Amino acid sequence: MTSFIIRRLLLIIPTVFVAVSFLFLIFYALPGDPATLIAGGADRNPNPIQIQQITEQYGLDDPIYVQFFDYWKNVLSGDLGQSFQQGRSVNSILVDKAPNSIRLAMWALLIEIVVGLAVGLYSAIRRYSVADKLTTVGTAALSAIPVFVLGFILQYMFAVYPNKQGWPEWMRLRTSGIAAPRTDEQWFLFFIPTGPDQWRYLVLPAITLASVSTALAARMMRGSMLETLGADYMRTAKAKGLSERRIVVGHGLRNAMLPVVTLIGLDLGATIGSAVLTETVFSWPGLGSTIADAVGNRDLPVVLGLTLAVVVVYSLINLFVDVSYAWFDPRVRLGAGDEP
Amino acid sequence: MNNTRRSTKLLALAAASALVLVACGSDDSTDSGDSTPTDTVEETTDETTADTTDTTEGDDAPEETTDTAGEGGAGGEFIDLGTFVGDPPEHLDPALNSTLDAYQVINAVYDGLTEIDFADPASPAVVPLVAETVESNEDGSVWTFTIKEGAQFSDGEEINASTFQNSWERAAELAGDYSYLMTFIDGGAERLDGTADTMTGIEADDATRTLTVTLDAPYSNFDAVAGFQLFFPVPQAAIDAGAEWENQVMFGNGPYQLEAERSDEEIVLVPNENWQGDFNGETWDGKLDAIVFRTQTDPDTGYNAFEAGEGDNANIPPGRIQDAEENWSTTLDTSILGSYHFVINDRDERIGGDANLKLRQAISSAIDREEINSAVYNGSRTTSTGIVPEGIPGFTPDLCEYCAYDLEQAQGLYDEWVAEGGVQDGPLPIQFNADAGHEPVVAIIIDNLAAIGIQAEAQPFPSETYFSELAGGACVICRAGWFADYPTYDNFMYDLFHSDALDGNNYGFVNEEFDGLVDEAKQTTDKAAQAELFQQSEDVLLNQQTMAIPINWYRGDYAYDGDRVSNFTQTPQGLIFWEQITLAE
Repeated sequence: MTSFIIRRLLLIIPTVFVAVSFLFLIFYALPGDPATLIAGGADRNPNPIQIQQITEQYGLDDPIYVQFFDYWKNVLSGDLGQSFQQGRSVNSILVDKAPNSIRLAMWALLIEIVVGLAVGLYSAIRRYSVADKLTTVGTAALSAIPVFVLGFILQYMFAVYPNKQGWPEWMRLRTSGIAAPRTDEQWFLFFIPTGPDQWRYLVLPAITLASVSTALAARMMRGSMLETLGADYMRTAKAKGLSERRIVVGHGLRNAMLPVVTLIGLDLGATIGSAVLTETVFSWPGLGSTIADAVGNRDLPVVLGLTLAVVVVYSLINLFVDVSYAWFDPRVRLGAGDEP
Repeated sequence: MNNTRRSTKLLALAAASALVLVACGSDDSTDSGDSTPTDTVEETTDETTADTTDTTEGDDAPEETTDTAGEGGAGGEFIDLGTFVGDPPEHLDPALNSTLDAYQVINAVYDGLTEIDFADPASPAVVPLVAETVESNEDGSVWTFTIKEGAQFSDGEEINASTFQNSWERAAELAGDYSYLMTFIDGGAERLDGTADTMTGIEADDATRTLTVTLDAPYSNFDAVAGFQLFFPVPQAAIDAGAEWENQVMFGNGPYQLEAERSDEEIVLVPNENWQGDFNGETWDGKLDAIVFRTQTDPDTGYNAFEAGEGDNANIPPGRIQDAEENWSTTLDTSILGSYHFVINDRDERIGGDANLKLRQAISSAIDREEINSAVYNGSRTTSTGIVPEGIPGFTPDLCEYCAYDLEQAQGLYDEWVAEGGVQDGPLPIQFNADAGHEPVVAIIIDNLAAIGIQAEAQPFPSETYFSELAGGACVICRAGWFADYPTYDNFMYDLFHSDALDGNNYGFVNEEFDGLVDEAKQTTDKAAQAELFQQSEDVLLNQQTMAIPINWYRGDYAYDGDRVSNFTQTPQGLIFWEQITLAE
């Protein structure tokens, strides 16, 4: 098992190298040079003197292999470089934004687990009931709506509309930002808001980010539970005269959870991917909105640096999921152990 | 001036979403610190004690207490959701910034030597601000500014002639995007390329409070340029801090100063208690206690947040113009000093040269600019009657003779061109940068031209390389846009069409008569005579040669709640005078 983990950890190195190098080269394959974009943008004619200054400042006229080599040399010494756009170090941007993204992702995960599993379980037990049918339709719709469309709909329903109706302040959720103007947000245990106002900023982005994953988790939970409920050992349990509650929770849930847990783990990557859209739609100051900005501005160091961090985390999550799967299912573990 | 607002954010997002998830990091919430600005002037403490000891003195007490902003005051807090849309500002330092968005903050924090008075939008005037007087010699090659007595920064540091000299040297040293403007000054070019340590053209005499500026070449609009952000005075603290100044609790000599260090999410301005008042002697005592600029990562979110009551204004996304006009007050009526037009390359045989003059005039007359404005822009632009927009000193309405939609005239001109031997050997390319919203404009133009028998086709270029291709000579009939850096006629005529700018921002217009008129106008100090010369040059460009086709002028793009907010206006430069805004209870 240990050697399995070590091998997988070492695999992260080429993964990160290939992913980031690929992005680096893609950026150079795109038309136009970053200097023109930094200087002007699409709606105006940039000043030639400016372009020259920028080119020199960032070494953009060096051959690509020199820039490529320099980049990796700096990364290995822990320096992710300087943003073209802001002149700030990418390291400090990472330290600034990552906690906010993690908070949002934690809440999305929490919603996914609690709501997704509960709904899936309920509709499995009450199969063909009205609630079950609603769940089936609802989850299908939810996973089909693009994240930013859902975000705007929620903004309208829970913030714009209540405001136009003159509803009291506490009934109006917030659309933009992480905390009220001129306040520093405080978090209990890293991710729990400390004031009622802060909650109002968190609710909509958390729900939006959780939406697709929650729908998937609910559907997976339902399917998996139904399969388990039909299994022979469940009938045996019933024949033994156990209460339905004990059958479902004691015997069924544990077995039905296996594929669901795997799904949640793997889906975390996708969840965090849709954070780009969610954070942008809600002006949530996290990594996602920062990367989106940087892509638009062709701010190469920021895109590369933040993506590098993301790839590392994603690889670690993948590893964790694989390991936990092996732990849950002895067949996988033994198979892995047999490998030379 | 570059306006950084972007409405196509979600397109970029779709591309970005492929590669993103979340990463680790320490618990370090975004900084904003609770450090307070280093103001606390004597005056303020005096007033507060006067307040608490109450009615000790009679008549002059009430007047003084109205000055104390922040005392549960008349002002209130204004939350801006419409200025930083898309990105947080890159720079806040007047020496480094090149965007209109950040200029909104910078202009509130600093006052320059001069100011443009737009009271009469038809004839804006350059008026002294921190300068007491502004004079030039006959050809505009030497400028003399005397600095007002008592001018000071919010920390009490005196502003004198040497303050400007030091600030300008600092700006040259920092070499921001606009630092090339220093080449106007004698020795500025040498200072920028590192062959000199100081700019020889600047002389400061603090005893007589006189700043004398010798220019590299005569330039009679230097008074307007001297009021531009690059030439703002900065305190000693800024000179010590260098490029880091914008990340500190920035203060200056304007009506406001930063409350705390900026963060990507928020920039907060509070009143500068030492501020004396703006031009015309007005002090705006009831001005806002705080202005909070909140970055909106998406234009629609910003507008939703505004409609949800989270702030006092918003940038109007293109799709919400009608909604904004129906439900809110807007600045859509304000003309902004920017032009949207097409340029013709004189060197292209299909369209350039004297032989094709009538073809060019036919094209310009055949375009239905009103249709473009209503169909593409929801009527939110002003249909052009020239390149230079209203608000530029010297502007004259209806200068362009071929800008009105006149099918008969267009048909006549085209027929004459054909009769004189003109033959089209293929469709004319109408060029533009793709995916920036110009497709529908070009489609209408092609239809318009087809109506009189001219064949044309759309030729999109990738946005990233578009302008460099044009500068390389690729232009035939090509779209261009320009926001004025400072409100002068030459910022359009010289920077876009003079042969000095050829293959830079000029894509192919070389005309000796035009160059001569612009050169002469730049040296003419009499404003009326200067305006006349500039108008003549534009007449050559648009009527006698027809080498540019104006389409429309930009307009303001803020929505605000008129029931709560008064005096929210955008100047033609796009700026908002925050100190003049008042909030209803």
